Amino acid sequence: MSEIILRIKNLKKIYDNKAVVNEINLEVKKGEIFGILGPNGAGKTTTLEMIETMRTIDGGSISLAGIDISKHPDKIKKIIGVQPQTPAFQDKQKLTEIIEMFAAAYGEKVNAQEFLNEVQLGEKANSYAEQLSGGQKQRLSIAVALVHNPKAFFLDEPTTGLDPQARRNLWELIKMVRDRGVTVIMTTHYLDEAELLCDRVAIMDHGKIIALDSPKNLIMQLLKRGFKKAQKVEQASLDDVFIDLTGKALRD
Amino acid sequence: MKDLKKQLYTVLVFTKIGTKRFFRDRLAIFFGILFPLIFLFVFGEIANGNSHISFNVAIINQSNSVFSKELVSQFNKSKIFKTNPNLNTLKLAENSMENGQIDGTILLPPSFGEINAEHIPNGTIQVLYTQNDQISGQTISTLIDAQLKGINQKFVKVNQPFKVLSKQLSQKSLTTFDYTFSGLLGFSIIGIGIFGPINVFPELKKQGILRRLHTTPLKVWQYFMATMFSQAITGVVSIGIQFIVALEVFHLKIDGNFINILIYTILSIFMILGIGLAIGGWAKNERQAAPLSNIIVFPMLFLSGTFFPRFDMPLWLQKITEYLPLTPVIDGLRLLTTDGKNLLQIGPQLGLVLIWLVIIYVIAFRVFKWE
Repeated sequence: MSEIILRIKNLKKIYDNKAVVNEINLEVKKGEIFGILGPNGAGKTTTLEMIETMRTIDGGSISLAGIDISKHPDKIKKIIGVQPQTPAFQDKQKLTEIIEMFAAAYGEKVNAQEFLNEVQLGEKANSYAEQLSGGQKQRLSIAVALVHNPKAFFLDEPTTGLDPQARRNLWELIKMVRDRGVTVIMTTHYLDEAELLCDRVAIMDHGKIIALDSPKNLIMQLLKRGFKKAQKVEQASLDDVFIDLTGKALRD
Repeated sequence: MKDLKKQLYTVLVFTKIGTKRFFRDRLAIFFGILFPLIFLFVFGEIANGNSHISFNVAIINQSNSVFSKELVSQFNKSKIFKTNPNLNTLKLAENSMENGQIDGTILLPPSFGEINAEHIPNGTIQVLYTQNDQISGQTISTLIDAQLKGINQKFVKVNQPFKVLSKQLSQKSLTTFDYTFSGLLGFSIIGIGIFGPINVFPELKKQGILRRLHTTPLKVWQYFMATMFSQAITGVVSIGIQFIVALEVFHLKIDGNFINILIYTILSIFMILGIGLAIGGWAKNERQAAPLSNIIVFPMLFLSGTFFPRFDMPLWLQKITEYLPLTPVIDGLRLLTTDGKNLLQIGPQLGLVLIWLVIIYVIAFRVFKWE
């Protein structure tokens, strides 16, 4: 049994007398990619933001790497990396400077070029952030989130609005982050993404976790309940056709 | 101790990158440096023009006498009268006066300057002016009268018992430009300290850039300090250029010490920037930032002596406006620059700047929001 890095107990968040996160319990293992799924308004982002120390907790507790989040938010900030939904950077700032600046926010000095090489932006080191495409900004953002060697990495719907090539590339990068020993916790709308990427997923609805297991087990459980698809499953999807025709190479 | 060193390293890197960004951004350079320069040229010209009084006149000479021609050429050379040679008929001159293009008309009638029985040239000059130009018209008459008296003296010796003698004192007083210049410096400090942050911060919040920084251990004081330093650097460059222009183009006479001026300028930028940080840091978006900054900035621009000196105001208003944050900035800079005072001698201004500095930053820290 691997080590538990994140422990959420009876977590609650109330907006306008309504519990948007209602007594959820959750444990995430060290080194896994954990997905939080659910329709809009299910409480995914709020949960994530409470773990990131960006929202106050109205009930229950969260501990990350043994540190109580409400008691030591500053200590938590030093060990987490956060990828926003749409990464944005200030204009007229070179990519190397963006890496240096974020490292400096943690009081660290890093080799910016190495971090850029890792996300295939080495050649763009002297470009400004505004010259990057959406996919490139995502990659830069991942590099930025890793400058301080975090223990946990949070992504909020990271592939929304990306083209199929950029999505696949981002999946590879997320796996790379995991392979460095960083625990990845992400929210997503895309179920194919969760199935492919996540070791385990929690499905949320109306502020509660309604299922929690590996994607494979969840599917097995559904089949055991006698579920049958109305239509025969095709051997390939339109997504496969698109990638076959346009290739996997990044377009940006 | 080690922690503090690390935290100051953060400030240093943020300052360095923030300053570099400013000098790469053409729009920022325009508003931070060129825009105040344009104001300096415009107001500098106006202020300089005021120091030499002159009248736009038309001279109509209907006489053929030698004396009249001589007089007209003297008027043309005069610095007080700016003559327009195109206005050579009475009709044209009257039109120009009605339109307010000239202040008056000097008319030399046909017989002017003819030699009389005593072998002396004589005649009467008419000065024509409209109702709206009474003061100019009378001044022109007085000036010509004085000139004619001098000429009369040469022809007819009369001993006058009463005379007026005007004498220029050696002490110099402040010129209009001295007031204008310190006011314009105040205006640029407002531009750097307030207009910058109130435009930038809501945008940074909208894009989630500040929020992202908030996920790091970065503290508000570090972010403020880095902004203060980089704005001070760009501000000193901008104000330095204005000093060079004022010295070279408008012949500003500096009596003070540059180190004092530099220190006071930086303190002033810090203090005024606090207002920008408070508004920009508090506002969630431009719609909140714009009206609040207008409420705060416009009264200061008009009441602190930015565009017109405060001594023109009624006494009670001077008393009140003395305590606005921008007033000690402008007064202090003028005293240091043209009055030859040092920082100790401008204690009241320096003290007021420091008091405002504390008040404003206490507010700015309290209202700051990362998103």
